[in-house]
Amino acid sequence: MQSQTDRLSSTFSALADPTRRAILARLSTGEATVQDLAKPFKMTLPAVSKHLKVLERAKLIRRSRNAQWRPCYLNAAPLKEAADWVGEYRKFWEESLDRLDAYLKVLQAQETASTKPTPGPRARKEKKK
Amino acid sequence: MTATGSTTDREISLSRVFDAPRELIWKAWTDPVGISNWWGPEGFSTTTKVMDLRPGGVWDHTMHGPDGTDYPNHTEYIEVTEPELLVYSNEGAKKGGTYVKFVSTVTFDDLGNGKTRLTVRTVFPSTELRDKIDAEYGASKGLADMFSRLARYLS
Repeated sequence: MQSQTDRLSSTFSALADPTRRAILARLSTGEATVQDLAKPFKMTLPAVSKHLKVLERAKLIRRSRNAQWRPCYLNAAPLKEAADWVGEYRKFWEESLDRLDAYLKVLQAQETASTKPTPGPRARKEKKK
Repeated sequence: MTATGSTTDREISLSRVFDAPRELIWKAWTDPVGISNWWGPEGFSTTTKVMDLRPGGVWDHTMHGPDGTDYPNHTEYIEVTEPELLVYSNEGAKKGGTYVKFVSTVTFDDLGNGKTRLTVRTVFPSTELRDKIDAEYGASKGLADMFSRLARYLS
C-alpha cells in the first residue's frame, strides 16, 4: 500500500526531469507511441523507454496492453494531487505572513508604548474607507 | 550565502518586506508564544510542546484548524544563525491531510531603516513545469485549469 507522501514523492521525482516533463506535455495533446515520443529528443528508444517506466511507476502515464505498439496516455490524477499540495503550501505561507505582519505591528505598538511615554510616530495609515 | 547548487528552478520561494527590524521578526519566529500568534493560515492556532532552537533541536507543535482538526507537526532545526538564517526540516500533516516532509530555508535580510526582507524557500522539483504548462498544456481543458492554478502558485 502506498501512502500519500510516497505518491507525492514519486510524482515530484518523476517530474524533476525535463525530458519526462516534455513527454507529459506531449501526451497532454493525445496518445503517442514510444517512437512518436522519442522523435523530438534525439534519444534512443531504450532511453525513452526508461523514462516511460519511471512515469508509469509514478502512475503519470498508462500504456495500452492491447495494441502491439502500446500507445501511452497521460494520467492526470497524480498531477492534480501535486498541484493541490503546492496550493496548500502557498496558502499556508501567504496567510501566515499576513498574520506575521499584523503581529509585528502589535509588537511594535507595545514597544513604542513601553519605551516612549508620549505617542511618537505619526499615523501612517490614511483614514480612507 | 548557502551553496545549495542550482535549485532556483526547483523551489517555491516567497519573499516579503516587513516594516519591522530584523531582531523583532527573528523573535516572532523563535519564541514559542510569539510564533503561536501568526503561524498557519487564517483561523489556525498553534500549540508548542517543545521548541529547542539549535541545530538538531526540535520544534514539536500542533496546528489547530478552524474546523477543530489537529495537525501535529515535527520540525527539526538544521541551521540556526541569529538573526539572519533558519534552516529546518518539517514533517507533518498540512491542511487537507497530506503528510509531507521537506526542508525550508528562511532568510532575514536587514534592509536598513527598520525594514526587513523575509524569504522562505522550499526546494520543490517542479517549477520548470510552470513554463511547460503555459506553453504546452494550454490546449487541454481541465488540465489547463489545473496547470494555470499551479503556475499561479509557483510564480
